[in-house]
Amino acid sequence: MNNKLTPRFLIIALVLTWAIWAIWPTIHYQSLTDGDKETLKEEGKLKLLESRTIKQGLDLKGGMYIVLEVDLPTLVENLGINIDNKFKRSIQSIREQILLTPEADFFTILTNFSNENNLKLSRYFYEYGSSNEDIITALSEESEDAINRVLEILQNRVDQFGVAEPTIQKQGNQRIIVELAGVQDSDRARSLLESTALLEFFIVKDITTTNELMVKIDQVLKGNKTIANVTESNQTKKRETLSNNDETVSVSELFGESSSEEISDSSSVAQDVNVEQPFSSMLRNLGNTIGVPVKNSYAVRKMLELPEVKEKLAALGGTFMFSHKAEDYPTVDGDVESVYSLFLLEDQPELTGGVVEEAKANLGPQGSTSAGQPIVNLSMNSDGARKWAIVTGSNVGRKVAIVLDKKVHMAPNIREKISGGGTLIEGFANIDEAKDIAIVLRAGALPAPVKIIEERVVGPSLGADSVRKGTQSVIIGLVLVLIFMLVYYRASGSIADFALIWNIVLVLAVLATLQATLTLPGIAGLILTVGMSIDANVIIFERIREELRKGKTPKAAVDGGYDRALTTIIDANVTTLIAALVLWQFGTGPIKGFATVLFWGILISMFTAIFVTRTIFNSFTGRKSLNKLSI
Amino acid sequence: MRIIKDTKIDFMKQRKIAFALSSLVILSGLVSLLINGGPKLSIDFKGGILVSVQYNEEIDITAVRSAMGNLNVDGQSFDFSREEIKKFGNPGAVLIRVPHIDDAPQNFAQKIVDHLYNAFPEKVPENKTDFVLGKGTVSPKIGSELSGKALMAIISSLGLILLYISIRFEFRFALGAIAALTHDVFVTLGIFSLLGYEISLPIIAAFLTIVGYSLNDTIVIFDRIRENIKLSKKDSYTNIVNKSMNESLSRTIITSLTTFLVVFVLWTFGGEVIHNFAFAMIIGVIVGTYSSIYIASPIVIQLHDNATK
Repeated sequence: MNNKLTPRFLIIALVLTWAIWAIWPTIHYQSLTDGDKETLKEEGKLKLLESRTIKQGLDLKGGMYIVLEVDLPTLVENLGINIDNKFKRSIQSIREQILLTPEADFFTILTNFSNENNLKLSRYFYEYGSSNEDIITALSEESEDAINRVLEILQNRVDQFGVAEPTIQKQGNQRIIVELAGVQDSDRARSLLESTALLEFFIVKDITTTNELMVKIDQVLKGNKTIANVTESNQTKKRETLSNNDETVSVSELFGESSSEEISDSSSVAQDVNVEQPFSSMLRNLGNTIGVPVKNSYAVRKMLELPEVKEKLAALGGTFMFSHKAEDYPTVDGDVESVYSLFLLEDQPELTGGVVEEAKANLGPQGSTSAGQPIVNLSMNSDGARKWAIVTGSNVGRKVAIVLDKKVHMAPNIREKISGGGTLIEGFANIDEAKDIAIVLRAGALPAPVKIIEERVVGPSLGADSVRKGTQSVIIGLVLVLIFMLVYYRASGSIADFALIWNIVLVLAVLATLQATLTLPGIAGLILTVGMSIDANVIIFERIREELRKGKTPKAAVDGGYDRALTTIIDANVTTLIAALVLWQFGTGPIKGFATVLFWGILISMFTAIFVTRTIFNSFTGRKSLNKLSI
Repeated sequence: MRIIKDTKIDFMKQRKIAFALSSLVILSGLVSLLINGGPKLSIDFKGGILVSVQYNEEIDITAVRSAMGNLNVDGQSFDFSREEIKKFGNPGAVLIRVPHIDDAPQNFAQKIVDHLYNAFPEKVPENKTDFVLGKGTVSPKIGSELSGKALMAIISSLGLILLYISIRFEFRFALGAIAALTHDVFVTLGIFSLLGYEISLPIIAAFLTIVGYSLNDTIVIFDRIRENIKLSKKDSYTNIVNKSMNESLSRTIITSLTTFLVVFVLWTFGGEVIHNFAFAMIIGVIVGTYSSIYIASPIVIQLHDNATK
């Protein structure tokens, strides 16, 4: 062997050894059974092994991908002091602007808005500075901080939820991306992430006040055109809504000793009731609470959002809240319908959630009203316990609503003063939900509400199908190309084939080292790499053939072929690299995976298709005896 | 083995026919785009909900359609019977696309899945997680951001490529290359519009790959032209271009063939998810090879002739 070639062989040998070393954990990991993984986990070695393997993207493995956006307008509103209606209206119009120009930054809009409309931020944020500019800088720092806290809290929640390898990362200045592999139950995962975990305790207004308010709302809405629209759209949307009017009751019956006979009597006047009492006709008496049949709930929510209704509520200092879940109640005609409860509460909470010290999910103790039902046991810190004792002590005989994220979980009667700060929450659909609520309460409330703006779920079967078919097509494509090269270029083709296989191994090795994620587009990128790598060799071989046709010796032909092909290959590959880099820069998730593979694939193909094959060629042409090239 | 022997094809003579053919394809694509009001964008760019589910046995699309006509969630009712509802790969798989709704109920995608699950109880797997192939919800906000980004990506990569080729070759080569790329993207976009395929995020990636591939092809030929200009200064420009093309024809054919082979395999065996991506690539390989011969180089000649006149 030529001595000049030895360092080149050494480099190649080193790179190939490294590749095998880097890719080995992935192969090893794939061959592990679940039992093996358990053992490794107990030994604490699984994490280390996993950190060295190529991860499969959610599109291959199945799972959830969620993008959450922190509600900056609400965050800023929460930070302010003495927030008045003017400020609330300003925030509202800023929200509308954001909807129109989604790419604009919230704080830029806020700056422009406050300058244009002469909104003095120092009125609400005097703690943060005096000029609008100072305040906005401080607020944006504050929001940065809040997002980091949101990230931390979500991390905490997800950790307790128990998902293998969750990824939670920040994107930009108001988004958080959560990837949960293998998770399919989107209801659970969503509420776990989206819940603000804002726990509040409200006193429930008494029945007389509630009745009076409902009469007022009915009067206000009577003949109102907007409300006619609400109910009408509800009618057209849902034909049966009003044909079932036999269940509607007049307001006087709602809290009277109404029996089912009386209710059915009202069917004859149903149409009148609806016109005369647009609001209460949507409701149903549930003994001592107001019920909203699920089929009416949309219309009722819409009615409660109307400004004239809000006005009445504000004048009274009250707020309406729905129960957390709907329960089944028999209807007059023997069917069952699910009904939400609706509560009229004082508009200010007596106590809010920062006071929770510990929260545990449990089944209700025997002998209590919640026996066998899922509950969450809360204990409060000393400050909270003291306040709780005062609240309960001064409101004996009234009802207190325990509200989580603006939904009423329960509204028990206060029988006596509760000291010690222990309390329990009921009203969960199942024990899983109670457990999740306990998790979010323990992890603490989010400093700002978050909203899911993108959600993608890939089912396990589709993922498995994609993996199988993706791998299959890579292998079939690869084998076809390998065979073609062998047939077309004979011995030289085998050198190209050798380089191609190493190209793929090296790309996988780099992916494992970078801890990159292999997605379906990534597999496509791998296939494209195969094409690019082969192209380099085709360009070289065609050149060598040309040189040979000119009558050059094998050695001269190989040298000439490589030299002349080199600039072509570099020019061609650099342009593709540019496209890959741009894709990487712009892309998220799957696209980024594609770009990563393409980028490394092209770089590595220049090494394997030029450096490696040339070294092998030279080791043959270096021999004096070689007078014919198999190409 | 040699497929392509020494050829002496006068490619430049055929360029008028090629221009006519390209114009025809691009025009019909543009007409289709105009009629459809632009390309058909996926939820990635428009926002909305996409749900795909797997029934145990073949399911009648009209039955699914009528089931989707009456969806009631929390007192809101929806009629989605006219939305896009179609088969997705095997006979039991169904894909449903629903536009974004401002006050949609919580976790609406799951509600749709539940509805589809309950509508045909005799045809669904026992475990609901086996029923869901995939679902996605994208808010229009994120979608419009993405459209902006995708446009930026395409424009900036074209700009950078223009710059690189201008430095390595001459400006007229860069213009020829960009013309070829624009041609490729428009042809592919037009064919997608004609076939009613939608443009999703992976398709944008495929477009950029087409750009990269077509460029690769173009550059290889340009490189030959550059080399031959140095070698034979006396020959006419058109002759040099023709000679360069014939010389690199063998490479062009073989590379296109192998690349076509792999994307074709991907298209056939790659599965439903990657199907359209592979399809875009197939068109890209064919159009990319064509454009490097019949679009990029003729434009370089044209620009050269204009400059020397």
